[in-house]
Amino acid sequence: MSTLIQLLLRSLETGAIYALATLGIIIVFRTNFMINFGQGVMGMFGAYIVTVLFNKMGLPIVLAILVGLVAAVGVGFLVDFIIIRRTKHVTGTGKEIITLGLMMVFLGITPMLFGVDPMRLPKVIENGAFSVGGANLSYNSLLNIILGLGLTIGLFLLLQKTKLGLAIRTTASSEKTARLMGVPTKWVTLFAWALALVLGTLSGAMIAPSTSVTVNLMDSVQVNAFIACVLGGFQTFYGPVIGAYIIAIATNLLSYYVSSVWGTQILYILVIIFIVFKPVGLIGKKTVKKV
Amino acid sequence: MQKGSTQKSFLKNPYLQYIFFGIIISLLPVLVNAGILKTSWVGIIGGTIIYAIAALGLNLLLGYSGLISLGTAGFMGLGAYISAYLTGDLGLPWEVGILAAIIIPVIFGLLIGLASLRMEGLYLGIVTLCVSEVLRKTFDELEPITGGFSGKGAEYPTLLGNIVLNQKQTYVLLVVALVLLMMLTHNLTNGQLGRALHAMRGSQVAAQAMGVSLLKYRLIAFSLATAYASLAGALYVHFIKFVYPSTWTLPVSLTILAIIVVGGMRSLYGTFLGAVIVYALPDLLLKRIPVIGDINGLSYVFSGVLIIVVILFYPGGVINIFRDIKKLFVKGSKKEGEV
Repeated sequence: MSTLIQLLLRSLETGAIYALATLGIIIVFRTNFMINFGQGVMGMFGAYIVTVLFNKMGLPIVLAILVGLVAAVGVGFLVDFIIIRRTKHVTGTGKEIITLGLMMVFLGITPMLFGVDPMRLPKVIENGAFSVGGANLSYNSLLNIILGLGLTIGLFLLLQKTKLGLAIRTTASSEKTARLMGVPTKWVTLFAWALALVLGTLSGAMIAPSTSVTVNLMDSVQVNAFIACVLGGFQTFYGPVIGAYIIAIATNLLSYYVSSVWGTQILYILVIIFIVFKPVGLIGKKTVKKV
Repeated sequence: MQKGSTQKSFLKNPYLQYIFFGIIISLLPVLVNAGILKTSWVGIIGGTIIYAIAALGLNLLLGYSGLISLGTAGFMGLGAYISAYLTGDLGLPWEVGILAAIIIPVIFGLLIGLASLRMEGLYLGIVTLCVSEVLRKTFDELEPITGGFSGKGAEYPTLLGNIVLNQKQTYVLLVVALVLLMMLTHNLTNGQLGRALHAMRGSQVAAQAMGVSLLKYRLIAFSLATAYASLAGALYVHFIKFVYPSTWTLPVSLTILAIIVVGGMRSLYGTFLGAVIVYALPDLLLKRIPVIGDINGLSYVFSGVLIIVVILFYPGGVINIFRDIKKLFVKGSKKEGEV
């Protein structure tokens, strides 16, 4: 029983990382109508900024993360301002290839600015743990779990209760109509990209202590985040988050109880089978096509 | 007059143009031997040809049928490993290896085609990404066959059991494969299949109403795309002579996608041009500049910026640049751009 609790707690922690990355993808997708293939690499770039601030500048870790998040907001603004705004006339796949171009730019800039050596980023709370029903939970993991759930809930409140949230939802349902209604869609996309960068940086800073900071930091997170998006369905904001937690829990359970080597493959195959039977995802609405 | 017009139509024969194109790019080793170009060019342009072959397949899928796939990397890897295993460990002839490396992935491609009937757009893209990731993780774990993390080696091809090729001859073999595939693609897309795929891209409902079987043509499109990708992978392993699991990740699939978008959808020469721009140009240009060429990651930045700029200014693909140049010189010609 305590093993199961331990696994579930660990899943909640990885789930938080996946959920933040997924939210970054879905908020850009809903407001800009494009998949951001650079989400993982941009998160990696943010995590590098945090690491350099901590390692080379000697800032305390919390401050380093905060400054890193501010930098992420700036980078997000720049990305939208310099490039994304000019892509209105580009068709679907072309837009996505532009995010691939962005991804390559960030992949190239990172070693130019921060060097090629892998770096370490410590946990926010170095040590200390307590036990929950026989399972150990470190304070840092607890912080990650709370951050993941808290930010998700906070974002949903923002989307549902505030004027900004209303603007985002209007833009998401139809950009043209939103503009006709006087919604400043330019500000909405600007906000979306900044938010995506912030969420990416946070998930990068959360996963970094368990591995070393390299350019491949977010590769598997990104793939899992994409899969979470289809599992939950692209049509809602909350579906992909549910998908992210399901993927995290299923990965941990499958690798522990079934096979540590083949767990992930089994999970992906299960997801494919699920999509074949429910092609719009868990919470997807089937759009009726008119001929 | 009569003679002139026959000469013109002779030059306009697309097959001869493909062969002519092939002859031009297969002159590269000669230039290298003469000392005009560096030896590294053979490797870089060879890689470009391999990417172009995989991109031709994806062009059939995305360009003609409107179906997206992010699984190209997985199938390239599958083809590479099958061919390396059969020719290296089992000692089978190269031709058998290539054939098996095409047939086995096509079975997977057919399955995806079957599944694709149920989903659309992005969902299909990410499901194919899922397949690619499953394959990549399998390359990691299936150590007896794939050599695991440390990778697997292969030799240059041995044709018909006794003609052993070197790197430059393998390069010519790549060119021959590219030209044959361009002809095949030309034939496929200009015939009934091409019309059916066009109809499917325009509107699936209209295509069905006109008697185009979605099942049949989706299966054909997916099996062709996987066949091209796995052939590219099999050629890769015999040209680069080594293959690692970590090569076949999402960025490779995205690069191949970028090739067809940058070059121009539904254009065969555009595909090759796209491959040159996305894959070869950063290496060829930057490595020649002394100090700048040594900066880490600069070629990534260069190709990233190049991709963004090309798509912003030529959303229909770089191949249109020739049309625009022609327009500059031939005034009052037909304004094709206004569609």
